[in-house]
Amino acid sequence: MRKPTRQRLAVLTGVLAGGLLLTACADDSGTSSASGDGGSCSPEDITLIGQVRNQTNPYEAAWLAGGDEFAESVGLEQQHLTYDGDSQRQQEQIRQALAGSGMECAVLNVLPNGDSDTAPIVAAADEAGAFLVTQWNKPADLNPWDGYDRWVSHITYDGEESGYLIAKALIEQMGGSGGIIALQGILDTSAAQDRFAGLQRALSEHPEVELLDEQTAGFDRAEALNVTRTLLTAHGEHVGGVWAANDDMALGAVQALEAAGITGVGVVGIDAVPEAIAAIEAGTMTATVSSDGPWQGAIGLAMGYCAATGELDVADVANDDRAFFAEQFLIDQTNAAEFAEPELNMDDFECGSLFDRATGPIG
Amino acid sequence: MSSPDTAQPRAADAAGPAPPLGPGPAASGGRLVWRPRGTDAVQTTASLAALVLMILVFSVLDAQFRSWDNVVAVVDAAAVLAVVTVGLTFVLLLGAIDLSVEGVIGACALTVALLVANSRTGLDLGVLGVAATVALGAAFGLLSGVLSTRLRIPSFLTTLGVYAIGLGVATILFSGERPIVEDPWLGDWASSRFLGFTIVSWVAAGAILVGWLIQRYTRVGRYAYAIGGAEDIARLSGVPVARYKTAAFAVAGAFYGLGAVMATSQLGSGVVQAGSGLNFSAIAAAVIGGTLLVGGRGGVLQSMIGVLVLTVLQNGLILAGVSPYAQQAVQGVIVVVAVAAATWPVRHRLGVVK
Repeated sequence: MRKPTRQRLAVLTGVLAGGLLLTACADDSGTSSASGDGGSCSPEDITLIGQVRNQTNPYEAAWLAGGDEFAESVGLEQQHLTYDGDSQRQQEQIRQALAGSGMECAVLNVLPNGDSDTAPIVAAADEAGAFLVTQWNKPADLNPWDGYDRWVSHITYDGEESGYLIAKALIEQMGGSGGIIALQGILDTSAAQDRFAGLQRALSEHPEVELLDEQTAGFDRAEALNVTRTLLTAHGEHVGGVWAANDDMALGAVQALEAAGITGVGVVGIDAVPEAIAAIEAGTMTATVSSDGPWQGAIGLAMGYCAATGELDVADVANDDRAFFAEQFLIDQTNAAEFAEPELNMDDFECGSLFDRATGPIG
Repeated sequence: MSSPDTAQPRAADAAGPAPPLGPGPAASGGRLVWRPRGTDAVQTTASLAALVLMILVFSVLDAQFRSWDNVVAVVDAAAVLAVVTVGLTFVLLLGAIDLSVEGVIGACALTVALLVANSRTGLDLGVLGVAATVALGAAFGLLSGVLSTRLRIPSFLTTLGVYAIGLGVATILFSGERPIVEDPWLGDWASSRFLGFTIVSWVAAGAILVGWLIQRYTRVGRYAYAIGGAEDIARLSGVPVARYKTAAFAVAGAFYGLGAVMATSQLGSGVVQAGSGLNFSAIAAAVIGGTLLVGGRGGVLQSMIGVLVLTVLQNGLILAGVSPYAQQAVQGVIVVVAVAAATWPVRHRLGVVK
């Protein structure tokens, strides 16, 4: 009897979830057919959905918190979806969230798990007529201006620039010469490759700085701790700085240095997780780069919200703003305190200033 | 002894029930106690030989590898894996498997970080917090054990479930903000040294000793061999199988809890993914050492050989300058070769391989 019971449970759950979504959007059904080319939802009919991988890392937790803050500012609530880095689950969640009719007033701010996951998400949103903003991952040949009037924009960051910014900060802290060890991310990801390319650009500008060793620590803190420990035995006092492709690895390196009783070695990372900012304030880390997670969580919803209410006409947005690199911020000891308590500036989310952080088209 | 056992034959008496357990370790001397004799001894020698060979090769390849500093680095790096593998060994001896390691460690890492002085809660329980965390680990193990034995679900599935529960608990405890450990005592585990080695390494040494004592002198350890060697025969001999299986899982969980405390001390804060990759490494280490997945073979000390093989390998490949792009593949090849070498002498006796 176990099997049928489980099936019934699954069906029940599905029906319940679908039913909730239907009730949430029931009011829209009247207007939906008329709003084919967007922009006529009344604010209280809008559903805001934020989807990230998980809530176990501070960055994505901050992303969702930023989304919540925006939602609150317009008197709505953000629905949280997390898929644990599982592409299948992400697609399933999107399908369920968009199930039923009357999704024309839904706004999705999505972090696709990988480049290849973006296409089906875009297709699903397009079919349901929901407004969509994607971030970070997208195949190069898929663009919002190719006939998608509901896919408002794709936002990402120039990883090469991030890797370069922190490398410059590290080299400056080292006084312009010495040896660096590099902790790379997962080697076959574009994030790891771009960021490392930024380090190489900085190194080519500073021939007196030597890259002693490069190893991967898979973006993982515990692995970075072990790898750094080994590299410290290998290169000893030649190590003047540690360049890490994310903050988690940088913090692992800080722990390894501390365990080895070594001081005066600069450590840089990327992501600006709260712990890294605290470490910068305390002087154990040199610099990190922030993409401003709370802003990312809010801006996607704000773009969709403005498009849904008609204050932003997607057709009028320039191609350069529909897939763009957003501004990133170098955090060092001079400005760490400001970023320790990141506060959203609600002016950033006015419908007229949505694209103020665009630094240029992707590519 | 204790009253629940009086109805049973005194299976653990010094002479032991001596059931004909076939070619398992119990055959050596007719006892349930492991003795380094026969095939097991051959296998331990093979594992040790693989380790020594690896150390020799890396020593030739790189002068840094031979340095005392590097010996310390390897031992420090092996500490957490060693403690986790001690725990896992008890489960493998049963012939069961435990896939809950990373979930349990995640939950315990967050727990200990929140119980000692930290950036989030006002608590400052110190050693009491550590004890509570080890107890929580044991509770998770108990859950795995009870689910496996009472519901008669394969441990593969129950522990996978407990893994998910552990990660879930860890995520709830994390709640968006990583607790930074501010307890100087726990922080010192990773940074202060005694006779050159970090406190974490000494804790690991103590844990290995305790693990060995449990395996050697308690019913939980000794019955694990009997159950893993031939569960039906153990049951017919009056061994309360379900109870001791559950106990072995609980012992394992306690070691995972301790591993989580050590990892948290090294990482400096409560990290949900503190155990990432440890489950696979621990299983590999145990098998390389000779604690085979079929159960009833190997033991805590043999598993430690495997821990050293894996740690030396990771360390040596970096020092030898193997490209990071190739390291994982090279590591995989060497692990397969090491397992093959370690199990070669006894491969005829393994019988069914699944």
